[in-house]
Amino acid sequence: MKFSNEIKVGLTIIVATLIFILGIRYFEDLPLFDSTYDLVAEFDDAAGLIGGNIVRVNGVAVGSVNDVYISETTGKVMVEFHVNPNIPVTEGSFATIAGFDALGVVRLDLTLGPASAARIPEGGTVAAGTGSDLMADLTAQAPEMLDSVGEAVGQLNDVLAEANTMLATPESDFRQTLNAAKGSMQQIEQLLASERDRIASILANADSISADLNAALGEDGQSVQDLMSQMEETLATLNEDLEAFQETNEQINTLLTKLNEGEGTLGMLINDPSMYHRMDSTLSGLNDLIADFQANPGRYLKEMKLVDLF
Amino acid sequence: MVKLTLDIVTNPLAAFGRYSRLLFHAFGAMPELSTYRKNLWEQMVRIGVDSLPIVMLAAGFSGAVTTVQTSYQLVTPLIPRSIIGAIVVPSMILELGAVVTGFILAGRVGARIAAELGTMRVTEQIDALESMGLNSIGYLIVPRVLAGIVMFPVLYVAACFVGIGGGILIGDLGGFVPAEEFVDGAREFFQPFDPIFGIIKSLVFGFLITSISCFKGYYTRGGAEGVGRATTQAAVASCVFLLLADLVLAATLL
Repeated sequence: MKFSNEIKVGLTIIVATLIFILGIRYFEDLPLFDSTYDLVAEFDDAAGLIGGNIVRVNGVAVGSVNDVYISETTGKVMVEFHVNPNIPVTEGSFATIAGFDALGVVRLDLTLGPASAARIPEGGTVAAGTGSDLMADLTAQAPEMLDSVGEAVGQLNDVLAEANTMLATPESDFRQTLNAAKGSMQQIEQLLASERDRIASILANADSISADLNAALGEDGQSVQDLMSQMEETLATLNEDLEAFQETNEQINTLLTKLNEGEGTLGMLINDPSMYHRMDSTLSGLNDLIADFQANPGRYLKEMKLVDLF
Repeated sequence: MVKLTLDIVTNPLAAFGRYSRLLFHAFGAMPELSTYRKNLWEQMVRIGVDSLPIVMLAAGFSGAVTTVQTSYQLVTPLIPRSIIGAIVVPSMILELGAVVTGFILAGRVGARIAAELGTMRVTEQIDALESMGLNSIGYLIVPRVLAGIVMFPVLYVAACFVGIGGGILIGDLGGFVPAEEFVDGAREFFQPFDPIFGIIKSLVFGFLITSISCFKGYYTRGGAEGVGRATTQAAVASCVFLLLADLVLAATLL
């Protein structure tokens, strides 16, 4: 099928026009076919906001800025922007300019009012909020920060100056301490110099002693060894004796254990109190008997004619 | 010697004078346009519709290359990747879309117009038209210049569309920047005046290329050799004046 030139040209122009219009709307972040919801906000300072910057609600891009200009009547910055018609921009909503100016990425943050409130009409004004802007905060705090930095540097300077004067004045403690240390070092040096000979002789003596010791060990090495072996023998004998002693000890131990436990005659004698009791009662009876005998000897000596003779 | 120096000054002035006179006649012939309507459609197809494939090809590649090279140069992690979109789209809309299209048309359309008109001139067809009582400027030049003015913006839109599309595509497929980030960055820095400026540029370029080529062709002298010279001069002069106009427009309108 062959198209006429008119159709070809007409079709091309229409398609290009459509692409042009839709393309601009697309990059302006406008809905391609819907109408938009235009709003205005008034600011004291635009902070670098320009047409085309994004409008965000809770961090979501919902539209963009159409135009930023200064009102001829009020002298304030007027920001015209549009948002998605589905966004409920109600009374009580407010807009803030946020973002980093240095990077050129400034945006308009829209905070929505309560959902129950009436919607702001098309073309209506949204209140300007005073939001927190990181860059602005930094800028605001900068003088304070600089002051404190300056103060710190000043203090550091003072300390350094003091140290400097301390080092410079000969009366300062620091200098005196240094001088004293220096004097001590000099004295030690002098001592070392004066006593050099003595120190040398002491060292020589120590040297000769150790040499003598060495020689003695070398000469009498054999006898020392003999002594050592004899000592070893003695120690071995002593060891045997100790073992025997240990055996005896163990036997005594068992004997004592047996005694303690009341085994055998000796054990019973030690451990059984009944014999003592019996002996006690016997002795007390004997005592009574002797007392009675002394008192009335006749009773016992009636039959003893020999005694009767006296 | 003095004459030669004078020629250097006077020849361009004379050429400009003849060019202005030609344009003056062309505007004078505008009321007769309805007579040559068929010719206008023909030129619009030849200049505009037939140039679409090569323009779209060149623009698509320049958009893709701009994206790749911008992402190659953006090595700092401090800069978000969406900046690639913010660089590629405006440069396509402001500069590349119009200038790439202009260079291609200077070669493709400018040379053809100059060759056509030059051949007609040296074979005395233009004289024949005149002797038949036809306005040769109205018949040959007005439709071509008008077609250039009307169709160049169309080609510009096609170039931008394909160029940005190529940039988004190669950025996404090549892993340089996701399509969403690309578009976000482009939207962040989009100025509605940019495409308008591009359209203004393309109108001027379309007028310059076709009118200069017509001028070179219409005043061809010296047989086949003259036609060849006119063709070359048309392409070169179109490119030079296109760049000059680019600078002047950017300096005055931006």
